[in-house]
Amino acid sequence: MTRRILGFVIVLIAILVLPYWIYIPVLFLAILVFPFFWEGILFALLINLVHGGGGDILSLLFSPLALMVLIALIMLWLLRKNLRSYA
Amino acid sequence: MKANYLPKNRSKHLFFRPVLALVIVLISGAIIFSVLDRTIISAVAPAWRAENVIIRSWRSGLAFFSSRQALSAENTALKERLTSLELSILSMSKNSIQEDTILEWAGRRQVSNMIVAAVLTHPPQTPYDTVVIDAGSNDSVALGSTVSLPEGPVLGTISEVFPKLARVKLFSASGEETNAILERNSVPITLVGAGGGNFKLMLPRDIAIEVGDRILVANITARLLGIVGDVSIEPTDAFKQVLAKSPANIFALRFVFVTP
Repeated sequence: MTRRILGFVIVLIAILVLPYWIYIPVLFLAILVFPFFWEGILFALLINLVHGGGGDILSLLFSPLALMVLIALIMLWLLRKNLRSYA
Repeated sequence: MKANYLPKNRSKHLFFRPVLALVIVLISGAIIFSVLDRTIISAVAPAWRAENVIIRSWRSGLAFFSSRQALSAENTALKERLTSLELSILSMSKNSIQEDTILEWAGRRQVSNMIVAAVLTHPPQTPYDTVVIDAGSNDSVALGSTVSLPEGPVLGTISEVFPKLARVKLFSASGEETNAILERNSVPITLVGAGGGNFKLMLPRDIAIEVGDRILVANITARLLGIVGDVSIEPTDAFKQVLAKSPANIFALRFVFVTP
């Protein structure tokens, strides 16, 4: 849990102060590292709100980044569900 | 009697539940963020201001301790000054003095009160060619106000206003269309933003254009908007594709002027 909170804070700081070619990979890394990282969707919405076109509900809902994060989360969840570890 | 209760097929429900949860997070997040957009932007702004202050003090601190760093800083400052002067020269039209005189005679001389604003975030921090400045409706910044560099070239317009902040959409934002004039032969054109401070446009092949030609805003001020960077044409094409770039380095913006 501590790791997850730390990851949350790191992604948030990256979004606020670092260039997009750092914070977008960091966001996807967090999605990859933490299981079912639903906060990633909120981060994608935050990126669109703060750095993107504004707070219009439709632009937020259909922002490419948010949809990509949603798809990545679903794919990873499916992958993790079907992967079995016997270790 | 032995009753055999077969377990229901719950796997489908289990599959859809997390997907549904994620979709609900997306929809509810979008609703909440759209309602609280001003609050969120206002909450985030101090972090950007602090970042700017920290970066400047950090640079000056390093320069104090190291002569090499000092030289480097001086070099950077001189380069910035050189770029600024080059931009000023570029912004000056050949006939600008004559135009000013004619405008004055016609009573259309532009006298506007400009607002100086510091840039809080700029590309590459923002991926969509938008800039956030530290002047808002409290400083008479209005929606649609023109934003330009201190040297003259125009950058974009205000797309969103908050009490102490405003968001600027640059003309080079992807898909953004801007009416402009090609200075060489006064041809009206439509510039299409291509992101990263770049533009593209299509021209009939008979129209003369060269690398370095100036593109001006299509209004009475005729300020510099872009410079032609590349012209490509195929022998079979009726049109030529022109790539232009913003005269300003949008990745190093520090101050802008807003014309309300």
